[in-house]
Amino acid sequence: MRETVKLISMEGFEFVIDREAAMVSQTIRSMLTSPGGFSESKEGVVTFPDISTTILEKICQYFYWSLQYSRGKETEFHIEPELTLELMMAANYLHT
Amino acid sequence: VQERFGNQSFRMERKTIDLEQGWDYMQTGITKLKRILEGLPEPQFDSEQYMMLYTTIYNMCTQKPPHDYSQQLYDKYREAFEEYINSTVLPALKEKHDEYMLRELVKRWSNHKVMVRWLSRFFYYLDRYFIARRSLPPLNEVGLTCFRDRVYNELHSKVKDAVIALVDKEREGEQIDRALLKNVLDIYVEIGMGQMERYEADFESFMLLDSASYYSRKASSWIQEDSCPDYMLKSEECLKKERERVAHYLHSSSEPKLVEKVQHELLVVYANQLLEKEHSGCRALLRDDKVDDLSRMYRLYHKIAKGLEPVANIFKQHVTAEGNALVQQAEDTATNQAANIASVQEQVLIRKVIELHDKYMVYVVECFQSHTLFHKALKEAFEIFCNKTVAGSSSAELLATFCDNILKKGGSEKLSDEAIEDTLEKVVKLLAYISDKDLFAEFYRKKLARRLLFDRSANDDHERSILTKLKQQCGGQFTSKMEGMVTDLTLARENQTSFEEYLGNNPAANPGIDLTVTVLTTGFWPSYKSFDINLPSEMVKCVEVFKGFYETKTKHRKLTWIYSLGTCHLNGKFDHKPIELVVSTYQAAVLLLFNTTDKLSYNDILTQLNLSHEDLVRLLHSLSCARYKILTKEPSTKTVSQTDSFEFNAKFTDRMRRIKIPLPPVDERKKVVEDVDKDRRYAIDAAIVRIMKSRKVLGHQQLVSECVEQLSRMFKPDIKAIKKRMEDLITRDYLERDKENPNMFRYLA
Repeated sequence: MRETVKLISMEGFEFVIDREAAMVSQTIRSMLTSPGGFSESKEGVVTFPDISTTILEKICQYFYWSLQYSRGKETEFHIEPELTLELMMAANYLHT
Repeated sequence: VQERFGNQSFRMERKTIDLEQGWDYMQTGITKLKRILEGLPEPQFDSEQYMMLYTTIYNMCTQKPPHDYSQQLYDKYREAFEEYINSTVLPALKEKHDEYMLRELVKRWSNHKVMVRWLSRFFYYLDRYFIARRSLPPLNEVGLTCFRDRVYNELHSKVKDAVIALVDKEREGEQIDRALLKNVLDIYVEIGMGQMERYEADFESFMLLDSASYYSRKASSWIQEDSCPDYMLKSEECLKKERERVAHYLHSSSEPKLVEKVQHELLVVYANQLLEKEHSGCRALLRDDKVDDLSRMYRLYHKIAKGLEPVANIFKQHVTAEGNALVQQAEDTATNQAANIASVQEQVLIRKVIELHDKYMVYVVECFQSHTLFHKALKEAFEIFCNKTVAGSSSAELLATFCDNILKKGGSEKLSDEAIEDTLEKVVKLLAYISDKDLFAEFYRKKLARRLLFDRSANDDHERSILTKLKQQCGGQFTSKMEGMVTDLTLARENQTSFEEYLGNNPAANPGIDLTVTVLTTGFWPSYKSFDINLPSEMVKCVEVFKGFYETKTKHRKLTWIYSLGTCHLNGKFDHKPIELVVSTYQAAVLLLFNTTDKLSYNDILTQLNLSHEDLVRLLHSLSCARYKILTKEPSTKTVSQTDSFEFNAKFTDRMRRIKIPLPPVDERKKVVEDVDKDRRYAIDAAIVRIMKSRKVLGHQQLVSECVEQLSRMFKPDIKAIKKRMEDLITRDYLERDKENPNMFRYLA
């Protein structure tokens, strides 16, 4: 299994993150665990034409924060107010 | 999280997707999926395609009305399956038959599940909100329901027939594809979506019917052709195979139902014919000691309700018959043979009964797994023949005699200590089957007394050991008197030592004859008849000396002398050589008369000794007509008559220096039976009074039955005897009859 996944924003920015982090999103998780799924020869590369770079970056941060939180490091996740609405939309899409 | 927000704050702009457009795109994905399932060359979905399909659905569901297409997409989702099934799946299935059809079905079902998995992921957004809000069936269920309604419902009957045909084929010994059947039957289970209804109604019920009729046919021919053991082997094999069948491809919940059907057809329907088969049925197996076959019979019938009852019954009948045969054999031998050989036969009988018990107890434990039904059967069988009389002796007496033979010196049984312990253990167990336990106790006590008083006991430890065992089995009351007897002897020995000291200190009191006295506690010992006799003066002196001694020890006790149990050692001064004679006290009294006179007539002796005719004849016979003729009788006929006269036989001699001259023992049996009957009357009285005291008022039937129950530990009371005692108690004002209802009794305080 490939250890990392590449997420690409609408502007073409590539975020390479751990597979485990990406799977915080149910949508991404479903895709990665589908039958006939993505083995070593296939890259886990996902393009999100509807998500901006800023938001996608924040989402990646959220993934890592979520992993830490579930491991016991209970900190706060700060969201800049101007990002809130877009972030919620993206979260809904990604089922996070 | 709220579903939608106003567009104004977004930087991103989404183009509205029109339904037809969006669906066309989805259709490409569905087509791709179908190609993959059909095995056509088609690359797998990559992450790009996956996300596009997912996103398309997502967007079409999150658009503002009238472009919110959730409902339409939900319907189109279902239609996608229906279309595929109708155009491709069903036709493929309908053109095939039997095993080919089954294989196709398994393939199509597997494909369908894959299709559902993929499509439900693409359409997943519907599950999250639309379906939840309207409480509609979720995507997974919709997909499976399509298959169930369109494919399963069409074909399940045909499939069921094909499966059952294969099952019967396997039963006939042919190889079949078990994995295939397992996969097919898994469909029945899965299609129920959590319930076993479909499996049970569409498959299992038919399979059970078919299995029942299959085994019914087999059973009807096997029961004619096969012996009981062979039939049982076949049955066991069939059950094993059917269980394997369940393990391999049927659902586990079918096991008990299938087993029950097979058992019913093979073992229940033909139970009677099987067990009663003339040369190989249960009786024959018992007769021929076919332990393995009997174990099999137990295993097979154990799991069937009430299945073991006929087997236990036959077992009981068999054991009873064997026991009765032993008893009859002993009875026949006894009537045909001389008395002493007969009594040996009676002892042999007890041995054989013990062996019989051991043998069939092994059967109960090993073949029949110690099941209570069989313990009960064995018990009841033994209770039947163990209470039969043999040549006039009750089983209680026989058992007591048997014990006596083991415990006395020079008894007929020569066994090691271990073997003796073991035998005593078994004897006590046999006692449980004898209803007249009190009769046994009395005979045992009488014989124990004889062993103790005449120093004939072989081993003290064994004596104590059997008393312990009897106590454990029958309670302390049973053995208390016997234990008292054993203790008495120990005390008597101490007493004798004191007596000898006393004589040492009072030489004037010495009677000049060695005297040993054993003082017994009356209550413990059997009652002895002792007829009054005029003792010779030497003996009278002995009695008085001892009385004098005894009064120095205790003042308030009365000594009753039992001369019938006494032994005397006399020196016979015969011409040839002196010989020591060991005789009873009575015999000694007769002989000592000849110290003063040479010749005496019968009547002389009668008057001098003051005896009854019966007793005197016995005594004189033992001294003049038996083996050792110490006295010569005139005339020298074989029996003693009142006109005979007797003389000291100076010419008597024997190669031994000391001889014992036995008196023929009086028959104890009658007395024992009388004593026991007397005790029983008291016991019945006590039981009736005890019962009435606590119940106050009781009906006739109940009183009788409670009485029987209370006394059953010791003996089986005669109903007439109970009624008689009741009448007696009424005359003695313990009870009265109710004035209105003569069948009711009342206790009178």
